[in-house]
Amino acid sequence: MLARNASGLYWIGRYLERARHGCRLLRDQLATMEDRPVEQIADSWRRLYMAAGRSPVGGHMESTGDEEDFMAADAYTLADDLTFAHHNPDSIRNCVAAARENARQIRNVIGSDMWSCLNVTHLDLRDVEIQAIWAAQPGDFFARAEDSIRAFWGIAESAMYRDGGWHFLVLGRFLERAQLLGALVEAHIAVFPSSRRDSEWEWRSLLAVCEAHFAYRHLYPLEHRPDRILDFLVADARLAHSLRHSLLMIAESLEGVSGSQARQAEVARRVRRMAGWIDGDWPRREPNDDEAACAALARLRQSCRQLHEDIAAAFFSSEIQDQGGRT
Amino acid sequence: MPGGREEVGGRGHSADNARLFENYEVRPEFYDEMFDSAGAPRAHCRKLYETLNRMPAEDIAAMQELAERSFLHQGITFAVYGEEGAQERIIPIDFLPRLIAAAEWDFIERGLKQRLKALNLFLADVYGPGRILSDGVAPLDLVRGCPQYRIEMRGVEAPHGVYVALCGTDLVRTTEGFKVLEDNLRVPSGVSYMLANRRALKGSLRGVFRRHRVRGIGHYGQLLRKTLEELAPQDVSDPCIVLLTPGVHNAAFYEHMFLAQEMGVELVQGSDLVVHKGFVHMRTTAGLKRVDVIYRRIDDDFIDPLAFRADSQIGAPGLFYAYRLGNVTLANAPGTGVADDKSVYAYVPDMIRYYLGEEPLLANVETHLCRDPEALAYTLDNLDKLVVKMVGESGGYGMLVGPHATPEERNDYAGEIRRNPSNFIAQPTLDLSVSPCLSEGGAAPRHVDLRPFVLRGRKTRLAPGAFCRVALTPGSLVVNSSQGGGGKDLWVLSE
Repeated sequence: MLARNASGLYWIGRYLERARHGCRLLRDQLATMEDRPVEQIADSWRRLYMAAGRSPVGGHMESTGDEEDFMAADAYTLADDLTFAHHNPDSIRNCVAAARENARQIRNVIGSDMWSCLNVTHLDLRDVEIQAIWAAQPGDFFARAEDSIRAFWGIAESAMYRDGGWHFLVLGRFLERAQLLGALVEAHIAVFPSSRRDSEWEWRSLLAVCEAHFAYRHLYPLEHRPDRILDFLVADARLAHSLRHSLLMIAESLEGVSGSQARQAEVARRVRRMAGWIDGDWPRREPNDDEAACAALARLRQSCRQLHEDIAAAFFSSEIQDQGGRT
Repeated sequence: MPGGREEVGGRGHSADNARLFENYEVRPEFYDEMFDSAGAPRAHCRKLYETLNRMPAEDIAAMQELAERSFLHQGITFAVYGEEGAQERIIPIDFLPRLIAAAEWDFIERGLKQRLKALNLFLADVYGPGRILSDGVAPLDLVRGCPQYRIEMRGVEAPHGVYVALCGTDLVRTTEGFKVLEDNLRVPSGVSYMLANRRALKGSLRGVFRRHRVRGIGHYGQLLRKTLEELAPQDVSDPCIVLLTPGVHNAAFYEHMFLAQEMGVELVQGSDLVVHKGFVHMRTTAGLKRVDVIYRRIDDDFIDPLAFRADSQIGAPGLFYAYRLGNVTLANAPGTGVADDKSVYAYVPDMIRYYLGEEPLLANVETHLCRDPEALAYTLDNLDKLVVKMVGESGGYGMLVGPHATPEERNDYAGEIRRNPSNFIAQPTLDLSVSPCLSEGGAAPRHVDLRPFVLRGRKTRLAPGAFCRVALTPGSLVVNSSQGGGGKDLWVLSE
């Protein structure tokens, strides 16, 4: 397939996953604000910003004066920053706009239903501001935005022909998911280390953000043990939001698009190595050894970044080689 | 309401249920596409008139609004460039279709095919032996001096003699009949709106199409693909076709995407193409793949920075070289603009007589070339009655509609004409036909034209339909979408 189309689909997958992740985080964060102590709420924001690799608006989240009023005002500013801010390239609105812009350029390969779904999501987000959603039910707003993105994936799954286009879309989605999950878990451990006693609710919230709480409760009904949650999110391939599952999907997608080129084979080898670390090295670390967990996650994230570079070089740029007849 | 309403079915209308044509006024000075001068529906429009008149006007308005919202959601837009950069806009749709009777369409079809055949022969001639110039039928200085004449094309034979594979001819109907207003032979646009308008109406007026025996146009993409396949270089049996777009910022990008999708071909940009050893390739995830036919939607100037404008960022270097070698087909060929130049246009009837030995079926609009001193004097004396156009402009830009201009505007424009007469042509203000359009008080007459799309491969093909453009402002004659015009569906009836 045309290399630019492949790149466009890959980026649609990435941007939409980033936007969906943002919706999920903010939904959870707003729920946190309902009944958690102020310090915990501030820590949750810190986790969120650390995972996003950004500094909070104003550079600090110190409270002075009336705590309740302060947190409400603070949340308003931070949610605006993460949802609508034009200067934040990873704001939900910007991510959807970027996905839509990629889609606009390659509409002929995604079909009209997928395009319309994404275009309507973009138009809905484009025309709204934080004041409007804050005055009503902000949680509902993020839930609706997340549902719109899920609808896009639903149409894609039911309608797309399983050729290179589909595989690049999925490749982008799961590479992004792996990176986001790695960053979130690493930030979570930094803010809520295993040793911290008052953080059971936050570990549950981590599961909720990763759409893993239901499955976790089913497997481990009575306890929220940090080491078990970490294992679940990182190494359980049956969990759709785990790192291991993302690598599985990445490997499958690459298998669907790779040809005989050496560079493409090298990309697949990198993914196998990453999967090997999770299957082999991750279980060997000491339970509750946060430092080892963070080091492993940092290594995986670094590999994800390298994987992105490798994919771009192997699939999205064609150079003149020997032209022996028609290719 | 039209004067003949009582005679058609004799239905009275209840006062509290606004009917579509209740306040429609037939103006005898213009040809009305739906009503005759006595106000009765024309024979081929009667059924539609009855159908529409049974529907409350507000229901049709609601359908129209829904269709426009659906256009926005589907991104059926074009870009308008202004001070604030490009803005995506929809082309407003008018929901009341324009009907063309079978016999009328048959005449239009024959006329358009005749015209396109002659225009292709003209291009082969002026880039080849130049007989028409040496015989003095078309002035040599006018043709060779035309900015759209490409010296680089001298001696280049297009595959199968087809320089213009796609043409979008602007036709108007006046009280004297159909006339050609303009031949668009470079990168004509609008066909996607023809198809989008049809889809919108089919989705809303269910059952109506079958009853009215409307001819289908949904196969246009297949016709286009077939045409392009026929123009592939000779040794290629299963040609790889692509559509070359300037990119997402182009005003007609939606159409480029739409046509690529309809044909099932790749939509490429200049940066996707590589010319190597005289062949064109596109960059794919599996390496380079050879391209055989390029339906290009980029103007001549920009297709190849090595052959034409060196500052082009949207073309593919070496493309014209590959074309000259015959290794790739460009549709349309470079240099076709010389045949749709507003001055050369005046000679098309003579071309038809010269090459085909036939009388033109479709008439031209009377055109005065200001390069001729007599025509210049006439133009300057009658500016208040004429429409004056710059030969190099399109889209309704750079035009003076004399009767609608102020004396100051006419004075300023006269100064421009005197400075460079060759750059201007003048035509009488046309009494463009009107068709009922939805307005606030029900249906009202608005001026319309039509742009059918003719395809020429080894055979000449025409989908029975057209992009019908509407001047939505009451009394306006300007139908261009960039100037506030809209579109409506055009139904060609099968009997």
